[in-house]
Formats: sequence, C-alpha cells, structure tokens
Amino acid sequence: MTPLAARATASCLRVYAVGLNTFREAIRNKVLYGILAVVVGVNLFALVLGEMSLSEEARVARDVGLAGVSLFGAITAIVLGVSLLHTEVQKRTIHAMIAKPLGRPEFVVGKYLGMAATLTLLVACFAVALAGLLHLQGVPFAGAVVKAVVLGWLEVLVVAGIAVLFSAFSTPFLSGIFTLAIFFIGRVTPELRHAAARARDEWIRRVAEGALAILPDLDVFAISGGEHQGVPVSVHADFVPWSYVGDAAVYAGAWIVLLLIGAALVFSRRDFT
Amino acid sequence: MSAAIVIEGLTKRYRAGLRMRTVNAVASASFEVKRGEVFGFVGPNGAGKTTTIRAILGLIRPTSGSITVLGTRMPDRAVRAKIGFLPESPYFYDYLSARELVDLAGRLAGLGRAERRRRGDVLLERVGLARDADRPMRKYSKGMLQRAGLAQALVHEPEVVILDEPMSGLDPVGRKDVRDIILELRDAGRTVFFSTHIIPDVEAICDRVGFIVGGRVVDVGPVADLLGAKVLGTDVVLRADDAALAALPLTGERTRRVGDLVTVALGADADVGGFLRVAAAQTMIVSVTPRKESLEELFLRWTTSEEKSA
Repeated sequence: MTPLAARATASCLRVYAVGLNTFREAIRNKVLYGILAVVVGVNLFALVLGEMSLSEEARVARDVGLAGVSLFGAITAIVLGVSLLHTEVQKRTIHAMIAKPLGRPEFVVGKYLGMAATLTLLVACFAVALAGLLHLQGVPFAGAVVKAVVLGWLEVLVVAGIAVLFSAFSTPFLSGIFTLAIFFIGRVTPELRHAAARARDEWIRRVAEGALAILPDLDVFAISGGEHQGVPVSVHADFVPWSYVGDAAVYAGAWIVLLLIGAALVFSRRDFT
Repeated sequence: MSAAIVIEGLTKRYRAGLRMRTVNAVASASFEVKRGEVFGFVGPNGAGKTTTIRAILGLIRPTSGSITVLGTRMPDRAVRAKIGFLPESPYFYDYLSARELVDLAGRLAGLGRAERRRRGDVLLERVGLARDADRPMRKYSKGMLQRAGLAQALVHEPEVVILDEPMSGLDPVGRKDVRDIILELRDAGRTVFFSTHIIPDVEAICDRVGFIVGGRVVDVGPVADLLGAKVLGTDVVLRADDAALAALPLTGERTRRVGDLVTVALGADADVGGFLRVAAAQTMIVSVTPRKESLEELFLRWTTSEEKSA
C-alpha cells in the first residue's frame, strides 16, 4: 500500500469511528422512537382519511405516506442536525476526540455520515410503514412511490447538511430557524422563479434571483404535482424516470459536499474553550 | 534528556464580556517538560493551566508563541497520535459504556480490533472499572468517569500523557490509584504532564513543577530546588507533662499539646542544641524535624504576590 493510500485508509477508518459513534448516539436517543411512533400514527390516520375520501383511499395513502417521509424526515434531520456539532462543543465531549489524531474535517464528515445513516434507517422505517399502509389499501408499493421515497430521502440528506453547516457556528435554536427557513424557501423555488420573472419591483426580482442562486432547490425532490421537461408528473399517474432520480442524487450529493466543506472550514477555525 | 514539550512565549488572549474586554488567559509562557519526567503544572483556578493544555493539543489557537511536542511544532496530527489526554472534569459520551469509550479511542488512534480489545480489558482492569465496564457512563460517579477517562487516554500507549486535573473529584483511594498510575507511566519511560492545584499530589510524585499564576509562568524547577535548603525553624516533639514543660528554657516559642505529646516550634535562629540538652534531661524527645518552606507555602506566596501586583 502506498503512503497516500495508507493515509486515506486511516482517515476513512477515523471517519467511520466517528460515524459509528454518532449512529449509536442517535439510536440510543428516545426522541427518535417518538418520531417513528408519530409517523406510524400518521399512516394509521391516513386509513381514516382514506375512508372519508370517497374512493380516493389509494391517493390519500400515497399522499399522506410520502408527506410523512418528507416532512418528518426533514424535521428529524433538523432536530438531529442543529445540535450535532454545537452539542459536542458545548458539552466538551469534542475535547477528548480532537486530542486524538483526528482532523476536524474528518470529525465533521463522520458526524454527518453517522446522522445520514440514522436518517436512512428512519426513512427506511417510514417506507416500510408506507408500504404497509398501501398494502392495506390494496395498492402496490412500487415504481412511482419508490422513486418518490428515494427523492424524499435525498431531500432529507440535503436538509441534514444545511443543519450541520449552521451547527458548526450557531446555537441549536438559531440553526433550527435558519435551516427551517432554507427548507421552506427551497421548497417554493417555482414561485421564486415566477416572482423573478414577473416582479415589477427591481428589489423583489433581485432577492428572488439571489435566493435561487445561493439556496438549494429542494423542489427538485418534491416533483410530484409539478412538471418535468414541460410534462406534468404525479406520483398517482405518470412520474419521473429513474434517470431523473439519478440526476437528483448527483444534485443532492453536490450540495452535501458543498455544505460539509463549509461546515468543516468554519469548524476548523474555532477555538474549543 | 531532551524535551518532550517545549513552550516558548505562549500567549492566548480572549475578548470577553459585552465590552469585548481583552483577557490574557496565558501571557508569554515559556517552559520545558523533559522526556520521561512527571511534570506538575500548578496554579490556582483560572491561572491558565487548562488554556495552556488546550493550546498544546490544538483545541485552541495561540495568539502568539510556539509549542513543540516530541520535536515537532504543533499542531501536528501525527504527534497527537503519541499523546494521551484526560480532559478536566471528564466530559464523555454518556450513552457509551467505558468499554465502548476505550474502543472508540482505540479506533481513532488506529488500533486493530484485537489490540483494542486486549488493551481495553487490561486498562479497564487497571483503573478499577472492569466490573462496571459495560454500564452506560451516565450512571457513573465522577470518580468512575475520571477512571474511564484515564483508560481512554492510555489505550494507544502514548509517549506523552497530559492530564488536566486528574485528581479532582476523586476520593483518597482514587487519588492514590491515579498517583500510582502516573508513577507506573514514568517507570515505563513515558512523560507525564499534569495540571493540579492539589499540592500534596505534586510533592508526592513530581520530578519538576511549574507554577502558573494570572496567566504567567512564574517559576519552574525541581521541587527540592524550588523549596531551597533554607531552614525556617525546627519542630521538636516531646513527651512531657506540664511540670516538665515549665522547666524548659522556652522564650515565647509556639507549643501545641496533643495528649502527652508537645510540639515546640523553635525559630530559625534558636539554639537547638542547647534546647535539646535541657529537654533530654527533663523530658523524652520523640522527634526533631527541621522546618522548610512547603510547596503549599510557596504556592500561596506566589499566588498572593501575583494578586497584589494585579
């Protein structure tokens, strides 16, 4: 093994150690099980809503189930992410970690990957609950729904990256507000584009264009009900092809890398007092 | 003997409060810790001990000055692999057990699974946590956390061990255990740098001591050198009743009686020989001890003089 490969392997092992520890922390946190219980409850509530919807049970089940993946996934990402780095500094648990031969960027990446693994497990549980709900309604869990779940999962990972970036320098409360704000703005990018194109006031146009330029377009991951290449797409009818999901994954990956580089840069400059 | 740690002109300034007042946590500190010695870094609370340690480990960035560990300018990740660190008031992941904490520390140090397990078992046994090694640390007492912290600091067999207030919060048995571990480390050729404000621990185990007060390192050297050879007086312990005591040539010396034992504190210029001749005739002499300045008195003298100058 070359020295470079040996260093890279050692670095990966340290990142893995931090990630494993973060995953352990999350799965030993009772809040996570509370969120899981709420999602199962929401899916059960979808059964009731379906009964009230006059032969639209399948549509209600898909909508409520996918909304659960997206909304509760994002909330969990924010709850876990905003305190991910801040708590380490505040509780001083980071002192013993950074005193080891562990780089601060490795620590940030490890923490993120551990949280991403937790969120992936959580989304998988949401998906199982959704599959159960659809099964009860006699709707197959395949094709469009699977793609929508994958897109929802990618969105959750991006939101987690945003939360981690803020957690590198801000309090959980402020990080939560900032991340929620970006989540909502990121979800209304079609409206922002519309505002940028049609606004009469110059400053509104500039603000909308600025937001579109610097913030992640989370609408990419919630495409159902929108248009793809000028064609309306819906999880209930014709949905996007797998190539779209692949492109969305690349887009999410690029944003996550950018957000983690930002978090690592900020974190590397901090004094841990 | 070459230096394990060299600190030259270390300064750390913070801005604090609403008016962003500049605070010198450490001001132009310079000292060396030699390889293989136990070095006690002594100072009152807020003196700058922990700030200095954090600067050595790269947890904070010095405002100016340089830190060299094992011949390499810090910060350097490869050198951190040769340092073991126990933080002040042990802050660890309380959802982990001590065994998991030591395993995590071993992973970060690049140890393989079998080695982590072997060293973990040995260390947890050595620090007295073998029975509780699998309980979550949130259920540990402060002393147990301190022991777990020591185990995670030593799992990679570091050349330099830095312990920030390792005795604080420990009962006498725990303190003795930590002192024994420090001496074992020295016997194994390791360098131990530890901060404390518990003077008897320093006197018991340190080869050399550095005093830091108000962010300034005010004195460094072997304990014996710092205390000097000057005799401040002589304590004579006698077995005597009141009548025998009255017959002694005492001229205002301080005496203290416990049962039938009387301690007479003679001054530095007293005629000790003459006194002992009379005392031997009238009483039974139990002990004669020259009284020197203690490390505690030296510590208090430095602290008081720095407070006055501040």
